[in-house]
Amino acid sequence: MALFLYLHFPALQLDHLQQSAENSQHLAIALVDQQHQLLQLNNAALTAGLKLQMGLASAAALCPELQLLPYQPEQQAKVLKSVAQQLYQLSGDIALDPPSGLILRLDGMLRLYDGLQSYWQLLSKQLNALAYRYQFSCGATPYAAKCLAYQQANLITAENASLLAALHASPLEATELTEPLQQQMARLGIHTLGQLLALPPSELARRFDSQLLSYLGRLRGDYYHALEYLQPEPGFSRYLELLYDISDSTVLAKPLAKLLQQLEQQLSRANCQCFQLLLTLFFRDNPQLQLSIGSAQGEYKAATWLQLCQLQLQNLPLPEPVYGLQLDVNHFAGQQRPTEALFEQQHARMSALQLLSLLQARLGRSAVSGLALQNQHLPEQASQRSLPLTKGYVEKGLAGSSALALRPAFLLPQPQPLTEPVTINQGPERLCPDSWQLNGQRDYYIGRNQQGQWLWLFRNARQQWFVHGWFS
Amino acid sequence: MSVLIEQLTRRQLLWHGDSQQLAYQAVASGYPELDQQLAGGLPATGLIDIQTDAGIGELRLLLPYLQQQQQHSQRLLVFIAPPAELSADMLAGAGLDLSQLLIITPTKQPAAAPKNNQKQNNQQQEALWAAEQCLQSGCCASVLLWPAAMSLAQARRLQLAAEQGAASMVLFRRPCQSLSLPVNLSFSLQPDQQGLQLTVLKRKGSWPAAPFLVDMQRRWPALCLTDPSGEPMRRAG
Repeated sequence: MALFLYLHFPALQLDHLQQSAENSQHLAIALVDQQHQLLQLNNAALTAGLKLQMGLASAAALCPELQLLPYQPEQQAKVLKSVAQQLYQLSGDIALDPPSGLILRLDGMLRLYDGLQSYWQLLSKQLNALAYRYQFSCGATPYAAKCLAYQQANLITAENASLLAALHASPLEATELTEPLQQQMARLGIHTLGQLLALPPSELARRFDSQLLSYLGRLRGDYYHALEYLQPEPGFSRYLELLYDISDSTVLAKPLAKLLQQLEQQLSRANCQCFQLLLTLFFRDNPQLQLSIGSAQGEYKAATWLQLCQLQLQNLPLPEPVYGLQLDVNHFAGQQRPTEALFEQQHARMSALQLLSLLQARLGRSAVSGLALQNQHLPEQASQRSLPLTKGYVEKGLAGSSALALRPAFLLPQPQPLTEPVTINQGPERLCPDSWQLNGQRDYYIGRNQQGQWLWLFRNARQQWFVHGWFS
Repeated sequence: MSVLIEQLTRRQLLWHGDSQQLAYQAVASGYPELDQQLAGGLPATGLIDIQTDAGIGELRLLLPYLQQQQQHSQRLLVFIAPPAELSADMLAGAGLDLSQLLIITPTKQPAAAPKNNQKQNNQQQEALWAAEQCLQSGCCASVLLWPAAMSLAQARRLQLAAEQGAASMVLFRRPCQSLSLPVNLSFSLQPDQQGLQLTVLKRKGSWPAAPFLVDMQRRWPALCLTDPSGEPMRRAG
């Protein structure tokens, strides 16, 4: 027999908001929809006597200092998804039931956890750690579990009889039936689900539409209820709405640390690391700002990522206060730890790649580079800035040998006209540009000026002298 | 009597005039006369302050040392804010591993366009920050820095960072009459026709010696004047 658990989160978006603000517990907060009905209430609002589906006028009369926030379905969907992702570590088959429910299929899990009680113990521990209010119930079918969870039946049992009894006693308000249909039933004297289920399906088919029949069929388990189970996403994507706008980029570190902590949890669970974070800052008027923060070695620790983010944020002028943060990681990679020598005298505090990411985070990507030797004869093309810590063109046995031509250590980006007397020591060495145009040829000399500096000079075809570098 | 002396030595209250222990571990510089004068060579860790003009051979003097530093520990060599583009031919020719070499040129400016003076200052700050990070990280063998100016506190900080990361740092400064910095070794360079005239200004754990000549004729024959008088002088048109 199949067994399902339904988790219903009555105030998911509100709880999520309150989680990020520690000192808002005493404030009565409610979420309202477009029709100005209260949809979600926090504990302070509940103690003030407010009820769900209440109009704004009566709510304001009961509780004048009530804070109202708009209900955002897409926001709620994101939170629901993240809850499902976190429960996925414990339970395999999870289907989303938007806007505020999760369906967990249990029969596979029970064999793994050796019974319902030990499974529920672990799951409830995880749920309590998430700190969202929830209602739950088991059921033989998804709809049965949902119906019981809506009444806060909180049944954790695999016994068919007690589940069925609870289901038969449940009022029609807890079902999926539409409002007019419920009224119609009430006029017929049908108030509980048991009464409805007792009627023969053929009779119902004659008087009601097919929706009722298909609902009842699925509730009873006669019809197949297709569920789309959650697949774990490869990446990480969380949005955090700030409770107040932040204009100082150093203050941003605190909410950011929270997001990074969640990332670390997910990464360490999957035994993964990531190389790049995408941090998006949301502004009220300006377009959103996306930062990409990279680590050349790959990291999973929140503290290391926070340091890299802070370095980048330090230099970032914010055009206006930030109201939201989004952290995305598109790609996870397997964790690799470098092996370190056992008898090494000094332990390096970080690896070369870690140092590289640190420098790049503060100074910018273009400020840090490597140097590569190219197979070119023109001096300005022979050495090029390359990506740091990559191997360029160096033939084996070439390095350190005298096969390389004598070149100055420093090259001027633009040759400067020679303005002082020099003593020519060596030369000429004729270099031509690629097409061997004779008027582009340059005759190079090594010269020493009166201050004792060794200069690399050239004379062009028009007999003009230039300094191209100096031998340091 | 000898017991008393032994006790005092053990408590480090006695100083022997003949046992000049080096305050740092020395690495051979590749120039025999320099090694001899500096009792073994250049320091493997800590700050080396060089007061020199640009282009007289100050980097050539260090190339064998840098090559050894890099090869010995398989760690990085970092050039911070070099005065012009570095040429790969020269460095590869000296045996440096180019893949283990970083060049840092702090140029990035914050968007709130600062004044010119501030801009330079900021650049200087970034260079010093990068130097400190590199030294501390423990994955750099040597860091070379061309600072515009250096205060006592900054030098002390860099010295501590260098000791922490077991790295050496070379400062190339213009000749100046400022206070001496807390460094392991400080010397000034003057051009000479056969190489460089080297004056040790300060050496940790010893007295400064008389100026001496570092002969570069063997290593860099093309960059030495063999016959000082008979060379033609050419003028730029």
